Amino acid sequence: MIKNILATALVATIGFSATQEVNIYSHRHYDTDKQLYKIFEKNTGIKVNIVKAKANELIKRLEKEGKNSQADLLITSDAARLHLAQEKGLLQTVNSKLLNAAIPENLRQKDGYWYALTKRARVLVYNKDKVDPSTLSTYAALTNPEFKGKVVIRKSNNIYNQSLLSSMIANNGEDNAKAWAKGMVNNFARTPKGNDRDQMKAVAAGVGDIAVVNTYYLGKLLNSKKRAEVEVGKKMAVFFPNQNTNGTHINISGAGVTKYSKNKENAVQLLEFLVSPKAQSMFGKANYEYPANQNIEPSELLKSWGSFKEDTLALEELGKNNSKAVKIFNEVNWK
Amino acid sequence: MKRLLQIPSSWISISTVLTIVLIIPIALIVFNAFGAQSDTLVHLKETVLNDYIINTLVLLFGVCSLSLIFGVGSAYFITFYEFKYSKFFSIVLILPFIIPSYILGFIYSDILGFYGPIHLMLKEFGVKTYFDVLNMNSVIIILSLALYPYIYLIVKSSFSKHSSFLLNPALSLGISRMKIFYKIILPLSRPAIIGALSLVMMETISEYGLVKYFGIDTLSTAVFTAWFGLNDPNSAAYISTIAMIMVFTILVIEKINRGGARYKVESISTPIKKIKTKLLGQVSILAFLSIPFIFGFLIPIIWILIYSFEHYILVLDDDFIQTVLNSFMAASISAALIVTIAIILGYSARIFDNKYMKYLLKVATLGYSIPGAVTAVGIIIVSTSIDNYIIELFDLDGLVIGGTIAILCFGYTVRFLAVALNSIESSFEKIGVNVNKASRSLNKSFLTTLLKVDLPLIKSGVIAGFILVFIDILKELPATLILRPFNYETLATKTYELASIEMVQESSVYALSIVLISIIPIIYTLKDTNEKHTNTK
Repeated sequence: MIKNILATALVATIGFSATQEVNIYSHRHYDTDKQLYKIFEKNTGIKVNIVKAKANELIKRLEKEGKNSQADLLITSDAARLHLAQEKGLLQTVNSKLLNAAIPENLRQKDGYWYALTKRARVLVYNKDKVDPSTLSTYAALTNPEFKGKVVIRKSNNIYNQSLLSSMIANNGEDNAKAWAKGMVNNFARTPKGNDRDQMKAVAAGVGDIAVVNTYYLGKLLNSKKRAEVEVGKKMAVFFPNQNTNGTHINISGAGVTKYSKNKENAVQLLEFLVSPKAQSMFGKANYEYPANQNIEPSELLKSWGSFKEDTLALEELGKNNSKAVKIFNEVNWK
Repeated sequence: MKRLLQIPSSWISISTVLTIVLIIPIALIVFNAFGAQSDTLVHLKETVLNDYIINTLVLLFGVCSLSLIFGVGSAYFITFYEFKYSKFFSIVLILPFIIPSYILGFIYSDILGFYGPIHLMLKEFGVKTYFDVLNMNSVIIILSLALYPYIYLIVKSSFSKHSSFLLNPALSLGISRMKIFYKIILPLSRPAIIGALSLVMMETISEYGLVKYFGIDTLSTAVFTAWFGLNDPNSAAYISTIAMIMVFTILVIEKINRGGARYKVESISTPIKKIKTKLLGQVSILAFLSIPFIFGFLIPIIWILIYSFEHYILVLDDDFIQTVLNSFMAASISAALIVTIAIILGYSARIFDNKYMKYLLKVATLGYSIPGAVTAVGIIIVSTSIDNYIIELFDLDGLVIGGTIAILCFGYTVRFLAVALNSIESSFEKIGVNVNKASRSLNKSFLTTLLKVDLPLIKSGVIAGFILVFIDILKELPATLILRPFNYETLATKTYELASIEMVQESSVYALSIVLISIIPIIYTLKDTNEKHTNTK
């Protein structure tokens, strides 16, 4: 009896209600996302609740909360973390014709554990005044002697670098990947530090000539409110590496429905909304990301950089090889 | 509860229970450390760990030295010298503490970085060389600027309390000021200095965002490499534990060094006769005090104001007020809770002056030296275990305490008790135990004595502790990110959110709000001390 009363009281205080909702754990911090959730709420009447933190920490929280977790959807800004969550048994499969039709096969997990929402390419950005683009070709070519002291890139604990190396491990084997990392360290213009924007500033300042960055950061520089940053952006040109081999390395931000989701239908509905043409073009315009939906055109700025051949490696390989990549980075002393 | 606190031994029991509750999350981390995978550790040891340890030690040494110079130096001048604007400086020297160190780092990298205003200006003058601000020295300077106020605040109150009655005769005997400083003032304040320094050390060792951005790898890098990169949270726990042990070894060595000497002085606080200085002396003092103020606060706040003005429209929406309220409520409620616990623990140690209580206090503060994200995981383990128990018992659906504000406050308590306790402990030490004994000899209970005698005497220490914790919570990031409820934003999480997507300028409105809210309690204290002044007049 007392148990029942207490239970009722607890339920009342927690405030379970009949309103429709979907609960998100997200590593994406963009304002666009917030706007999109508002539109979704308006269209469907489903309330979107969100906790934003770093993916690893959210995965840890999800793991510890287990079957009692209130989260329905996990959103990360790279594929490796989605794979990690899947591997830990924290996600469930989704079967949606709409999602499968919109998202190309290499940008989703084949059983439907997770789907890409946006796509970003990790490209070479070079100083137009100093580098002849005909000397550029592949990521591997950056390790050639002619680029000694010319390359800038951020630290090895950055997930985008880890994923880039993971893709090389998957494509070319561990030994080749390690040789590449070692060659890069030899050609560094400076010890890795700063964020992607800082790499481009270093190139503009002449510290190095070529930076390896994600495309959207160049978009952000070019659209910055600071004149100096726009100036930096204008000095840069984009080069898509590996066009004659396996294609430019891409990564995604993506989402998967949690294993113990209590609002699975709502979560799937939200996923479907996020890959819809309207949402996809909003992602592209506000944050300079490539759409994951294959039927949607990229934004004008992105189109101006040209179309490119992308690496079609299954993205779960990034997650599978992540630990190996981290170890290689440490072994070759990539700070 | 009140009745319970009349019984002497219940103070020890309550302190023990409080400590156990607070230490469980940390104990779980240490426990997890035993599950560390040897191949992760071997890999780290063979590759990067040595470098990281050396970097950590260099950083510790640099930050400790510089923040000691800033902190003890400014506390000394403010306390013992009479000069123009001393009142102004006594307040503003606290302010650098308000600006989160990662924001300070971003601001200086923006000002001094490539294509920052300084470089552009140099270019105008035809200077072609670029300097790279992202390096170890910058990190040392920035962390020292952000952390020296701990030392300044704690040491200043120690200086002013117990030195007057020794200092005044010494001065009248014509002993040189240098000698007085080294022979009397420093030894007397050693416990306070070391206490404050231990806070600086712990904060330095758990620092992650700033060192990462500046390209410096420390032990906290290894913690996150093990956890995020190599997917081995147990090894992360192991390295955290090592870092924690490192700090405590240093503190223990200091204690042995200090020997059995106890620098407790029963003091009556008579005002210090301040030293008057000539113009040159005044100018040098002002120049010295200006350095931490200008670089730690003035320049950053101007930067923040400029960009706030540019970007406030982006930020000022309906959610903004809610965010401010969330921050303010979480910080004030948690700080009040933390200070209360610190008073109970500090007072118990005061009335039962034995080894057990001393170790208990040390144990209760361990949480501070562990990176916030790691502590948060310990807390999630605790809250989910309790949740699972409740859910099973009452056959519920969904979490009860996990992801609530209560858990967040608990997290803050585990993390920041050290800060409040340090301030309160050193205040208790200053006033000596005789007042307490006198009160009890008049048959007053422990609780009455605490409330009527001791607390009024250590009021300034309590307030200082509250302010430090309040501001620390406003700035707190890693634990807030992980533990927070759905749709819950604080000023720190919003600042970080924008900074993490490389939109630091846009985040300035939130940084400005942190500064403004932090100033409220500081002004309150200022008013309070002013009133005291007029009363004594």
